[in-house]
Amino acid sequence: MDIYLYVPADTPVHRLDPRAKMAALLAVLLLAVAADHPLLPGALLGAVVLVAHAGRAWGALRRVRALILLIASFSTLTWSVFARGTTPLLGPVEVEALLFGVGTGLKLACTIAASVVFLATTSNEEITVGLIRLGLPYPVAFAFSTALRLVPTFVGAGATILEAQKSRGLDVESGGLIQRMRRHLPLVVPILAVAIRSTNQLALALESRGFRARPDRTYYLELRFRAADRVVTAVSLVLIVLALYLRLFTRALRIPGLLT
Amino acid sequence: MKELLTMWKHTRMIILVAVVAAVYAAVLIPFKAIPLIPGYTEIRVAQVIPPVASLLFGPAAAWGTAIGNLIGDLFGTFGPGSLFGFIGNFYLGLVPYALWGRLGPLSTGREPAMAGAAQVVEFAAVTLVSALATAGIIAWGLEVLRLLPFAALGTIIVLNDFIFPAVVSPVVLYLLYRRVKRWGLLWTQIMPREDISTGRGVLGTALLLVGSFGAVILGNWISISRGALAGAAGFQQFGNPQVVGQPGLVWTLVPFMVMLALALVFCRPRTDLAAS
Amino acid sequence: MFPPDLRAGAPAPPQEKTAAVTVQDLAFAYRTGDGALVPALRGVNLEIFPGEVVAVLGPSGAGKSTLCYCLNGLIPHVIRGEWSGEVRVFGRSTRAARPAELAVDVGMVFQDFETQLFSTNVELEVAFGLENLATPPAEMRRRVAEALALVGLAGLGRREPATLSGGQKQRLAIAAVLAMRPRVLVLDEPTTDLDPRGREEIVQVLDRLRAQGRTMLVVEHETEQAVSADRVVVLEGGRVAASGPPAEILTDADGLEARGIQPLASAALLSRLGLPPALTVEDAVRVLREAGYRIDPDRYAALVRSDRARSADGDEVVAVDDVTFAYPRSGPAVRGVRLRIRRGECVAIVGHNGSGKTTLAKLLNGLLAPAAGDVRIRGRSTRGQSVLQLGRTVGYVFQNPDHQIFAETVYDEVAFGPRNQGLAEREVRARVDEALAAVGLSGREGEDPFAMTRGERQRVAVASVLATRPEVIILDEPTTGLDYREQRRMMDLVQRLNAAGHTIIMITHALWLVAAYAHRTVVMRDGALWMDGPTREVLAREAELTEAALRPPPIVRIGLALGAPLLSVDEAVAVLRRT
Repeated sequence: MDIYLYVPADTPVHRLDPRAKMAALLAVLLLAVAADHPLLPGALLGAVVLVAHAGRAWGALRRVRALILLIASFSTLTWSVFARGTTPLLGPVEVEALLFGVGTGLKLACTIAASVVFLATTSNEEITVGLIRLGLPYPVAFAFSTALRLVPTFVGAGATILEAQKSRGLDVESGGLIQRMRRHLPLVVPILAVAIRSTNQLALALESRGFRARPDRTYYLELRFRAADRVVTAVSLVLIVLALYLRLFTRALRIPGLLT
Repeated sequence: MKELLTMWKHTRMIILVAVVAAVYAAVLIPFKAIPLIPGYTEIRVAQVIPPVASLLFGPAAAWGTAIGNLIGDLFGTFGPGSLFGFIGNFYLGLVPYALWGRLGPLSTGREPAMAGAAQVVEFAAVTLVSALATAGIIAWGLEVLRLLPFAALGTIIVLNDFIFPAVVSPVVLYLLYRRVKRWGLLWTQIMPREDISTGRGVLGTALLLVGSFGAVILGNWISISRGALAGAAGFQQFGNPQVVGQPGLVWTLVPFMVMLALALVFCRPRTDLAAS
Repeated sequence: MFPPDLRAGAPAPPQEKTAAVTVQDLAFAYRTGDGALVPALRGVNLEIFPGEVVAVLGPSGAGKSTLCYCLNGLIPHVIRGEWSGEVRVFGRSTRAARPAELAVDVGMVFQDFETQLFSTNVELEVAFGLENLATPPAEMRRRVAEALALVGLAGLGRREPATLSGGQKQRLAIAAVLAMRPRVLVLDEPTTDLDPRGREEIVQVLDRLRAQGRTMLVVEHETEQAVSADRVVVLEGGRVAASGPPAEILTDADGLEARGIQPLASAALLSRLGLPPALTVEDAVRVLREAGYRIDPDRYAALVRSDRARSADGDEVVAVDDVTFAYPRSGPAVRGVRLRIRRGECVAIVGHNGSGKTTLAKLLNGLLAPAAGDVRIRGRSTRGQSVLQLGRTVGYVFQNPDHQIFAETVYDEVAFGPRNQGLAEREVRARVDEALAAVGLSGREGEDPFAMTRGERQRVAVASVLATRPEVIILDEPTTGLDYREQRRMMDLVQRLNAAGHTIIMITHALWLVAAYAHRTVVMRDGALWMDGPTREVLAREAELTEAALRPPPIVRIGLALGAPLLSVDEAVAVLRRT
């Protein structure tokens, strides 16, 4: 089952060290929320789109396109109506409110798009190894990557359980709220039982494969921090500092006339 | 609560973290399609799982729900808020087992096999506290990031994490508790006593209760009353930048966040529960 | 032809007489979470010599898996219970070494491939054990490539395990163990959960390992697979009931049958006819020919006449017209299928995984709607009918009972369907009683279904569908994971339901069950209907079956070699005549 966003390819973005990409992602996320004015997230979104192009992440972006559009337009609309500004534009909408709405919409579009590009160009195992190299204890990283491995298994089991119970006449779509909630029991109990039962088998298999046979362990995936990675990381660190500065110490890129 | 760390020594506990995370994420993901406040949260059937997992698997449920929520975020809602989502969901899996048997008159002092109405009431109580703690942390975090007003998000998270679990989870736990015990997979069956913190944990319980109730009540009160719209639902305030990111709200809640953090040190799960 | 380095892990020279594994007076009882002891082994003695391949047979509950778990120290180190006796691996007691330390001595492959894979891509899965042993990365890369080549997965290194077929996943599990170069390989029912193609893949890998002279203990689910072992060990009730070369153990058809193990068709037939034993189809045919046996044309004609008598001529219940269906983002799963099923028929649908059998079945009860074409149940199109409505006519028993069992008691589980139909509680009770009587579980209403055996849980699942009194019952691989006796019992139940008037559609991989029970057989291949006809005729077309990656069961092949397809040992005894 193909449920993850990763798209294997050999692009400059794919070749970057996962740690460098994590730094870049963090920089984008922080910069996006550092100010109110749409200019900053707008420019960032443009940059993310360029990176997406370089990393051939269009397929992944297309998969979440509806979600991004929905979230961005929803925030833009609601903020435009509800926020208060000083310069009337049309009905209850003021210029500043519209700006703020557009800004928040762009912030969300930008953070989601950046994350999707990251996930489309960085495999689960690179993320895991990257986190280990950044100091995440191995057992935690193991639990994380095993969970990633098991998600498709349980999604499949969940789909089968839903079909099996529907075939026996389960109907979760009609009735009152409480009734509908209760009708989820025949779905929730088997999936939990199946998952919990698998624990013992997983433990046996894990012990048989030498899990923690010795205090040290080696890693199959070797990460190489190249010149490009150094540049990306350095730029990202500067941007992270800039984001914190913008957010905490200045009122630059705020929206004048917005009532805050 | 040293078991949060010592559990990583035990293979079955590590696997339970992965299993809880995977099953939580697997149930979360299909519901990503119908977001309630898009980008932040959804109607989540998956919320049935954390309190059940917590009372069965203790610390593995805390780590499991946190990681599971993060994996769920990787399917379209990952963003700066995911950090607070991780921490908030950690408490969702932590609070029920940390408070079970610690709520004085509300507690039955027996293992949570959901035998009788009193246990269902106790279950509702610990789940409510977990929902409040989670809501307080996430709503505060998004307020810090100026993404959503506290009142709007906080209320939705409390409802999501409390109503559905309160209605369905006790039955799920009733059906699973004895079976899991027979399979030898309760966390207290896997972890030896010396790896679990001991004591009465009065301070920890107090910190959790004051921190969670305080954060949500005060957060909502400031968020709503600042707009001079006392009594109106959070939704009416939703969208008003006047109440977003007020330094007042953010700083006022800091002590409560500190309390919730300290609860990690001072809470003491009961290990002397009578069989039921 | 095999990577040389993997051969290095192979056996010590034959002159060495020390056993690789020694099991002495081994007894073990599992301790459940509530403190109860469940005995599994009651005094096992066994030696495995370097280079030897030992096949272990036995019914469910005989202690086969438990024995495996004792060989690499999972018992007593990971599994709780009471143990006595001694297990030594190359002289080292398993008491003194944890499984992780024994991993280089004993490699363990489990039945369930889903719960022994931990990584998000194939290469990493194979490397996982090596990483745990702190193997240097360069060495790791070499061993990963070798192990993948050995199981035929070279080139799939970057795939996510979730995207592999069952056979590929199991081969991956084997590669992951081989990469650690264990001196003994233990495989616990490695083919049970696989389709015929997947089984064939595993059999080929095992043959290759055998040719390398590896020391192996393989728990076999199918007696046929034990034929090529050096020694067969039969477990029963936690003890070794028999041990010896295949030619001695597997030719004792009655002895195996009595112990709940499926006898070889060839051995069973020859013993019924009082002829010298044979293990393979070819040998059996030779013995029969030499003894002058041939198929009596008159008796065979009578057999074919009785086939016709049992073919149903009732009304048409299921009509599938040029139906096509595709899942999102993939090619068509079912293409242009046309199928008619009459009341009272017992139809088997066979084909390898991915051939569209299950998709076709789901189109019949409304879980899926055709993209093109039409499905009619009792003359009414499934379009516009909900699964709930259709469920009154078409009941669907899913493959794994654990994907539906949720209730506290057997009674509540079986009552779920009738209650969903809004029946009064008195009627519900009558339906539950009736359904439990049909599956032989009367009197067990109050039990916890989770505490039952797999065979019993499967019967609870059948009862839960029966209780809604559907006219048509679809069973998706109803015998997977069951031992021989349980399979027989399940199929006898299906036969009774059919005799009682239910129309049966069963999806299965077990062609010997098809031969013994189905009136009619439908073969699916690549989403299309490949063959459809009376079972005898379909199973006789060996070449076409081969194209669909299927093979007639041994008794049919014996018959075909003698001139006509025979569906069971009983039939063969009835029509064979000495000239």
